[in-house]
Amino acid sequence: MSEKFTSPHDVPAIPGTEGWEKLYPYHYQFSKDDPARAEFEESQLWFYDGLHYPEPHYPFDLIWDEAWFLALSQNNTRTFLVPPALGIDHRIVNGYVYITPVGVADPEEVGRRVPTFMKRAGYYYENWDRLYADWKVKVNGLLTELEAVKFEALPEVEDESLVFENKGIGSGYELLTKYDELIHMGLKVWQYHFEFLNLGYAAYVTFINTANTIFPDIPISTLTKMVSGIDVVMYKPDSELVRLARLAIETELDQLILDNKSSAVVMAEMEKSTNGKYWLDELEKARYPWFYISTGTGWYHHHYSWNDNLDVPFASIGMHIEAIKAGKQVGRPTEKLIEEREALIEEYRSLIDNEADREAFDQGLAVSQRVFPYVEDHLFYVEHWFHSLFWNKMREVSDILVDAGFFKDREDIWLLKRGEIRDALWDHVTSWATGTIARGPSYWQKEIEWRKGVMKKFQEWSPPPALGTPPDVVTEPFSIVLWGVTTSVLKNWLKGVEAATGTGSEELMGAPGSSGVVEGRARVIKSAEELGSLLEGEILVATTTSPSWAPAFTKIAGAITDVGGAMCHAAIVCREYGLPTVVGTGRGTTFIKTGDLVRIDGDQGSVTILERA
Amino acid sequence: MSDKESKILFWYDELEGSDYPLVGKKNANLGEMLKGGIRTSPGFALSLYANDLFITETGIKAKLATYLDSLGEATLEACKQASDAAVEAILAAEVPAVIVEESCAAYRRLCEMCGTENVPVAVRSSGAVSMPGQMETYLNIRGERDLIEYIKKTWASAYHVEAITYRLNKGMGFLLNIGVGVPKMVNSRVSGVSFTLNPLNGDRSKIAVDVSYGLGEAVVSGLVTPDNYLVDKVTLNPIKSTRGSKEVKCVYNETGSDCTFVDVAAEERERFSVTAEELKEICRISKAIDKYYGKPYDIEFAIDADLPFPDNVIILQVRPESVWSKKAAEGKTEQKKDAMDRIVSQLITGVRIK
Repeated sequence: MSEKFTSPHDVPAIPGTEGWEKLYPYHYQFSKDDPARAEFEESQLWFYDGLHYPEPHYPFDLIWDEAWFLALSQNNTRTFLVPPALGIDHRIVNGYVYITPVGVADPEEVGRRVPTFMKRAGYYYENWDRLYADWKVKVNGLLTELEAVKFEALPEVEDESLVFENKGIGSGYELLTKYDELIHMGLKVWQYHFEFLNLGYAAYVTFINTANTIFPDIPISTLTKMVSGIDVVMYKPDSELVRLARLAIETELDQLILDNKSSAVVMAEMEKSTNGKYWLDELEKARYPWFYISTGTGWYHHHYSWNDNLDVPFASIGMHIEAIKAGKQVGRPTEKLIEEREALIEEYRSLIDNEADREAFDQGLAVSQRVFPYVEDHLFYVEHWFHSLFWNKMREVSDILVDAGFFKDREDIWLLKRGEIRDALWDHVTSWATGTIARGPSYWQKEIEWRKGVMKKFQEWSPPPALGTPPDVVTEPFSIVLWGVTTSVLKNWLKGVEAATGTGSEELMGAPGSSGVVEGRARVIKSAEELGSLLEGEILVATTTSPSWAPAFTKIAGAITDVGGAMCHAAIVCREYGLPTVVGTGRGTTFIKTGDLVRIDGDQGSVTILERA
Repeated sequence: MSDKESKILFWYDELEGSDYPLVGKKNANLGEMLKGGIRTSPGFALSLYANDLFITETGIKAKLATYLDSLGEATLEACKQASDAAVEAILAAEVPAVIVEESCAAYRRLCEMCGTENVPVAVRSSGAVSMPGQMETYLNIRGERDLIEYIKKTWASAYHVEAITYRLNKGMGFLLNIGVGVPKMVNSRVSGVSFTLNPLNGDRSKIAVDVSYGLGEAVVSGLVTPDNYLVDKVTLNPIKSTRGSKEVKCVYNETGSDCTFVDVAAEERERFSVTAEELKEICRISKAIDKYYGKPYDIEFAIDADLPFPDNVIILQVRPESVWSKKAAEGKTEQKKDAMDRIVSQLITGVRIK
């Protein structure tokens, strides 16, 4: 492609945000200081990671970006030696993260990496099921460790056990190290997240390409159906809600749930009866761990879990109760998915008239089906369960600093980098140890006010989809499958988002998320609380969907998202629920208004506005 | 000779595929399709025996035999002379009474079935051996007198220069008896052709459809750019849709058997000629035909303006696809030792995005 995007060095700061760089690590800046690094930055394609980050980054929340930056990259570059691919580099511009896949430049080097890759990746592919079982043990162990962490205020006087049991270490020291341990646990779970994820996506890419060689232009939505109906933990939360809904109907508690928006009121009432107590016991069983599912994607601190606000899952239980009583389909139509999957596979296989081709197809499909559970499950363990717990542990840390006058509000902590929080804790601990006034209160509060202003300006800015120079070939597996960096995507980016919406027509293009053509009234949803406002047969429009929104999927007719590719988690969940979906439209949430009559084609990836509200 | 072998006329629904030596392949195939529950236009077929009876009783057979001996080499000039002679002889001769009676009785019955006096029919050649495009099809024939006239013309078309040359080049004989098919004319709002594979690369997971307004002549003759679709055979969802310019359409004249090309209105050109629903039905039937015969087929269809959906989607003719089916089933994927090997290979190749 001879066309280029804006140079990453030429993006101006937003007026009023000068000095924003200190919100983030220094190595996340584009810089011309080092000519070699600057040259590298100019010659790469940097794309804005809208898939994960529809909003600008809070300084603390960047921890996850740093964690996956390290883990994904190291496993390509140093662990498995993926032959043509090194890591994914990250930068930040005006609060938004840009990433670039880094390739191995020297073809000879690519060849040299092959034997090691084959040996190491081969080990994982051959022992996949056993290694995944081990993985679950490791991650469950870490989750138990995380749950056990407790942050408490420093005591006025150390407890006498410190002396009489000659422990030798003070509470201040314990607080500081506990914070470090919390951070390390966070980084560690992300090491596990990526342990062999690149191998999973590599298997998908290979299967997709094998299928396209045999059946040119076979839609990706068809291929994804061939790995559907597999039971993964991501679907467990919703199936628990269905179970609780049925139980409520059986024990005649359904009306109680339907009549009350407040879960606290419902639960208090249930305590009064035998049936109610029984239902509450079952609720407890479901809550840990399934209600750790995030109402968002888990990436931002303001994505809270069902356990944090029971009103949300209770509203969904209500939705299921209504549907069950109306004789409608609830939950994932697993049997139907499996039937469809098997029929599709059989029919395509029967169209292959060459033995070797059939073998290639079968092998590719088998590996894809084997890797699917880990590729989908890790999401629940890490981004949902672990993150939900983690954000709340950080709030415990924040409470200490609020008490110490460093912050006005618990939610202020996110404006500090994790290193700065560490420094703040040192300030607090040493002032406690010394009996003096900490600097924190007079330092942080005004800094936080300024940073909040900067964040607001970041939120109003539209990050360009890409910067730098597009490549000829993309080899890094994640970039291909997850972000869907393809020729047509790049072309649309080069044309600019305006042009992608078509000349004067009320049409938006995205990627096929889930099969089906439907028409309905659109409803733009900004957060999980608004899910309750969805009416039957409506089309949900959101930045992205969270798996925790699945309960709504059998009520509505379709979904449209701003971000995502055909293989992103949101698309997969929509497919499992048979909900026609178009993902990655870019700006569906601004272009479409609540009440517009829209038609979506989940196979073509197109959205048409038939009538404006 | 058995009863069947001395029959002059068969209704389509009396026929099956293996009857092609009696009535020709096109006619037998239509019978086979009806057996398979696939919608075709109602009609009847004259047998090869009827053709033979005609040329025998009129003495044309003997005449042509002698003429042929004195011809010599099969030069273009000679073929032209032979053609002229044969055609002239056939057109001048009188059709035996038994053939006239049976044909007219069948035609009257067809008019009754369709509730139309002098119902328009096509008169189509149907050889026992496949010879695409070599012989004639006549459209919009009405009334008993024209029916008989055009049956004769169809028999005569086996002796057109192209047909003779084709046969002699392939080492077939000069004399050729053919079947004649007489289906009711479809009032074609649109007509087209579908292939149950991608004709560009032989990919059997696809159905390719070309469709345009009016009679099929426009599409098969290559005179218009039709709407073109590439549809996934398994899901029946369109993968590519290309709107054609569809500048003209072929409509049949009120009288006579010719059709004329007329301009297509701008607003009709600017949209697709079939609905998504109709496209799906065309593909569903095409897929059923492919499945029934167990191999890729080339199918002519039309949508009858007089009938409701889905009865209006009518199959006119089917033929085994002749290009890709002959090629050996070559492997498309590269030979790899195992799944791991393929994954490494794919990783190294990457995905081209330019």
